[in-house]
Amino acid sequence: MNGSFRQSMAWLHTWVGLLLGWLLVAIFITGTSAYFREEITLWMEPETHDSTLTPNTLDMAVAVLNDKASDARSWDISLPSARHTVAELRWQPLQQRQQQGGGRNRGESVSMDADSGQVVEPRDTAGGNFLYRFHYQLHGVPREVGRWVVCLATMFMLIAIISGVITHKKIFKDFFTFRPGKGQRSWLDAHNATAVLALPFHFMITYSGLLLFMTMLMPWGIDAAYPENRRDFFSEVFSRGGEEAQRPGNPAEMVDIKPLIAQTEAHFGKPVTRIGVTNPNRDNAVISLRVDRDPAITARQRGGDPVQVYNGVNGELQETLLPSEDPVSPSWRIYNVFTSLHMARFADPLTRWLFFLFGIAGSAMAITGMLLWVNKRTQQLKRDQVPGSSLKLVKGLNMATISGLMIAIAAYFIGNRLLPVTLENRGDQEIQVFFLVWLAALIHALLRPNRSGWQEQVALGTVLWLAVPVINVLTTDSHLFTAVAWQHPALASVDLVCLAFAGAGGYTFWRLIRKPAPAKHAPRKKPAKRTAPSTTAPAGENS
Amino acid sequence: MTPLSITSRTLAAALGGYALSALCAMALAVILPMPRNEAVITGILVAFLLCACAAIWAFSVRSAWRAWGGIALVSLVFGALYLIGSPP
Amino acid sequence: MILLFAVCLAFSGMTLLALAMKRHQPQILDRKLPEPRARLARWSGWACLAVSLVCVLQVWPTGLALFMAIGLFAFAGLPLVFLLPYQQRLAWRLAMALPIASGALALVSA
Repeated sequence: MNGSFRQSMAWLHTWVGLLLGWLLVAIFITGTSAYFREEITLWMEPETHDSTLTPNTLDMAVAVLNDKASDARSWDISLPSARHTVAELRWQPLQQRQQQGGGRNRGESVSMDADSGQVVEPRDTAGGNFLYRFHYQLHGVPREVGRWVVCLATMFMLIAIISGVITHKKIFKDFFTFRPGKGQRSWLDAHNATAVLALPFHFMITYSGLLLFMTMLMPWGIDAAYPENRRDFFSEVFSRGGEEAQRPGNPAEMVDIKPLIAQTEAHFGKPVTRIGVTNPNRDNAVISLRVDRDPAITARQRGGDPVQVYNGVNGELQETLLPSEDPVSPSWRIYNVFTSLHMARFADPLTRWLFFLFGIAGSAMAITGMLLWVNKRTQQLKRDQVPGSSLKLVKGLNMATISGLMIAIAAYFIGNRLLPVTLENRGDQEIQVFFLVWLAALIHALLRPNRSGWQEQVALGTVLWLAVPVINVLTTDSHLFTAVAWQHPALASVDLVCLAFAGAGGYTFWRLIRKPAPAKHAPRKKPAKRTAPSTTAPAGENS
Repeated sequence: MTPLSITSRTLAAALGGYALSALCAMALAVILPMPRNEAVITGILVAFLLCACAAIWAFSVRSAWRAWGGIALVSLVFGALYLIGSPP
Repeated sequence: MILLFAVCLAFSGMTLLALAMKRHQPQILDRKLPEPRARLARWSGWACLAVSLVCVLQVWPTGLALFMAIGLFAFAGLPLVFLLPYQQRLAWRLAMALPIASGALALVSA
């Protein structure tokens, strides 16, 4: 490898990284939150918390469905789980309503309290889904545009990964190296450590991010092989088991579902989590009982849960379907592994926590990269030279995307608790709180001097993240203390992560306000997502 | 690198790289001796990596002309493969 | 619990691998190691990682386990990287103590 090749790769890595680095930081941070999106949604709907699965939940769910939609074409009951306290009841009405927007028809649904059988109407909120959607299609721009922009950033990331590996002179020699208190050198070490050690994760998350949008990005191969109709490809690959909906039969009494559940649970040795009924209350009713499948990341994504299908009138077992054991070809295996890992839908809580930490490592890599860029150029300034406006702009944007985004997410959670429950368009208002706070942080970041700006934003972020659990205690009955008492880890974890961020922010703030010692004033450890930018201060050189 | 060279290389990486990977996906989808859907996904898996590699290539070679030339050459090869493999 | 053991073992493995590198020997032990000792450290480091991998394979299906093992090694390595310049002695002591403690914990709970 000759020097000029490496130099051009360093150049490419630097500029590719800078150009969409801010977007990547935002995608990484919101995407990391998406591993806990159901927990966040649960946390943001406190009305649903006081609900636990009882032996009568299913009877009550059937009663509610009989009351609301006894003549529906199908019912679908999702029983409460560790991440979702209420029972979700969905149904497809007999007369299909004209679907606006052309999406798949999701029918209608209500949430039911699992121990009282009352229909619950949680406050209007987008919950964790807002952060989740932001990470792949942004917000406030047409969906397609947002997705293309995110995919472009993803491709930049892939290029940055490759060029970064080429640029890195001594991957193995520097594997364990961190030299604190050396300004730019320390940032480079920190960037290298987070990038190299978690390299498999970074590559996986980037490449699979592209694969998840392959039909939008790369439809040409599909069109080439399926010139007649693109849909043939999808029906060949992602078929949902070809359930032909039968016409509703004559009214008839349905069998009691409970004994069937006991039978299926005995068969699979696992609790039934979902109950589907097609043509309920008809003589051709069919009941299908699903259990969760084992995590198998090479298997096909969709519709692979073990399921037993019963005749809905006489209760006879009709068939038992197991996840497809078809040999999967190597290419599909690769596709399945990557996309399953990206979304981690298969994951148990422990795995999900690990992925969350991976995400934080990814965020830390992007953040240290951005701060390194600024630091390098600040150190190149001659003595007494004032940083130019472009350097100032980059510094401000760094601050706004790193600490500003963290402030905005905390504000989003606080808005969820403080906005009046009956507010019109409440879900949208919460999102507006998020963007207004982020905008304010951006303006603040661009106007204030770099060092004091960081101090103020980190201080504010610490206060806000600390405020989230406190406000939760004041405004709901299902705060950290009760969640611990109920032994509800999903609920408690949101508050605990908020406290952890507050702690990390507090530590960062402490590092920032400490008088920088003559030689040693680099951050010690990257605390969670925010990193101590003490060495980015323009004063670093001549103080 | 002059600004003109950078612009040219950027265009080669973006437009050329995308065209190259699209042609790669098309060619592999029709020419690989495996079931159609497998050929398609194989083509896509390779295409994304090629797209990134094309960008690396565009910025690593000595001149912008070479960047364009290399990408065009590989694109031509994939285009020819597609023409050979596509059903008449 | 077995996962905790696997992470701790990976930490020891990473520390031993660092010990095999000239640059980190004075950091960890305050002196340079002769080449045979360094080689011993390298091999035992890899052995620790291998045992750790075997533990991870007990927890997840193979494909996922391989990915998660690499991830766990990363998580064992990151604290080490930031520990070395500050608390080098601590790193070495932790590398000794953690696998024993977590191993005992895993045995007790199992």
